[in-house]
Amino acid sequence: MRLFTGQRAWVVQRLSALLLLVLILLAMLALPFASPLDFSAWRALAGGALGGPLIALLFGALCAHAWVGMRDIVLDYLQPRGLRLAVLGLITVVLLGVLARVLLSLAMVALAA
Amino acid sequence: MDKPPHRLPVFLNLAQIRFPIGAIASIAHRVSGVLLFIALPVLAALLHASLRSEADFASVRGLLSSPLSLVVAGVLAWALAHHVLAGIRHLLMDVGIGSELERARASARLILVAAPALALLLLVWGLS
Amino acid sequence: MRLNIYRYDPERGDPPRMQAYDVQPEAGDKKLLDLLMRLRVQDDSLSFRRSCREGVCGSDAMNINGRNGLACLTALDGLKEPIVLRPLPGFPVIRDLVVDMTQFFAHYHSIRPWLINDEPLPERERLQTPTERERLDGLYECILCACCSAFCPSYWWNPDKFIGPSGLLQAYRFIADSRDTASAERLDFLDDVYRLYRCRTIMNCTEVCPKGLSPSHAIERIRLALLQRSS
Repeated sequence: MRLFTGQRAWVVQRLSALLLLVLILLAMLALPFASPLDFSAWRALAGGALGGPLIALLFGALCAHAWVGMRDIVLDYLQPRGLRLAVLGLITVVLLGVLARVLLSLAMVALAA
Repeated sequence: MDKPPHRLPVFLNLAQIRFPIGAIASIAHRVSGVLLFIALPVLAALLHASLRSEADFASVRGLLSSPLSLVVAGVLAWALAHHVLAGIRHLLMDVGIGSELERARASARLILVAAPALALLLLVWGLS
Repeated sequence: MRLNIYRYDPERGDPPRMQAYDVQPEAGDKKLLDLLMRLRVQDDSLSFRRSCREGVCGSDAMNINGRNGLACLTALDGLKEPIVLRPLPGFPVIRDLVVDMTQFFAHYHSIRPWLINDEPLPERERLQTPTERERLDGLYECILCACCSAFCPSYWWNPDKFIGPSGLLQAYRFIADSRDTASAERLDFLDDVYRLYRCRTIMNCTEVCPKGLSPSHAIERIRLALLQRSS
């Protein structure tokens, strides 16, 4: 298998962009109706059956989108193979960290509820 | 064919190249994307803290209303606005909408102006 | 008129430098190439390529005041002085404004720029309907001057792996040709993170094409063809 894909990465980038657009639009539509959040309301939202999965989806799409974009930047500007793999590894670790942290936070709230 | 005796020079001084408007919109798309990438771990940390405890929630809220974070928020608001607008432009051009040169120039100009305006709007709305 | 021209002499081995020239255009001089020809009389060490002097051969591509173009199609009227001439960006410089096009043509060759058709030869020619023929408009006119590829940032960063706007326009010219039966293989070849997908639709290519073609549009069509095929 090739390490870097052509069309597949491009499709992931476009699909995640579309998903993010939909989520941003949803947020923009919902926000005017939202009351100022206090801690318990925020936890209820993030731990809810709708809010939790939506936040997870948002970060999932963000991370997938960011990976393709950062990969493209690395492929353009960093030519030495070793440096390239090191930076790509770092980017992957950061994004997996983000994903893990968000999922853990959401799970923590959902379990407490 | 004889190989040249030494490495040939290459002219590639970006400061001496006149970039079209589309290239400016494109590099801004890339820069804004990197800024958003850097913000992503911070955002995840803030999310984590805000859900952990009442006290952490309050400190996240306090952090977000400090003067320094206003500047950061301004930059990120521009990054988000530009990245989203430029992204919509590209998605449309992918399917052949506005991909002729004249219209692509016009849309590039439009997003370069609209992104700071939208960022300002976001910021004002966020403060109120 | 005042010009500032990039000079490089491989025999002397000195780093490239800019040289200022003053040359008086004469009656009938309309294009930048006319001026360059006068300059050559003044200084016969100045090197640049030119042949047809009417935008067909694609030899005199160069960076003119920061943008790529053909000297023979660039009107003197409206050119800001001093006119700054540099070789095509990102290409190895052989001498003055003459660049090494080897890699550029290797990319062109890689897309197999000829009709592939394994069906038996018809008695006369392979026919096309007028509609099928129209699909080649905006594609077949490319003169391979390299103005586009040498203005494409993606090509600057990966000149050895990215085919570049010119080669991709040519690739689509054969994919779009109703007489060609190798579309699937051509698309297979292009589905690669480097060959096709380094393009970020910056559209610098379309901005500078002296023939008014749109390589970015051709690339958009290749991506859609690939998408259509895999869905």
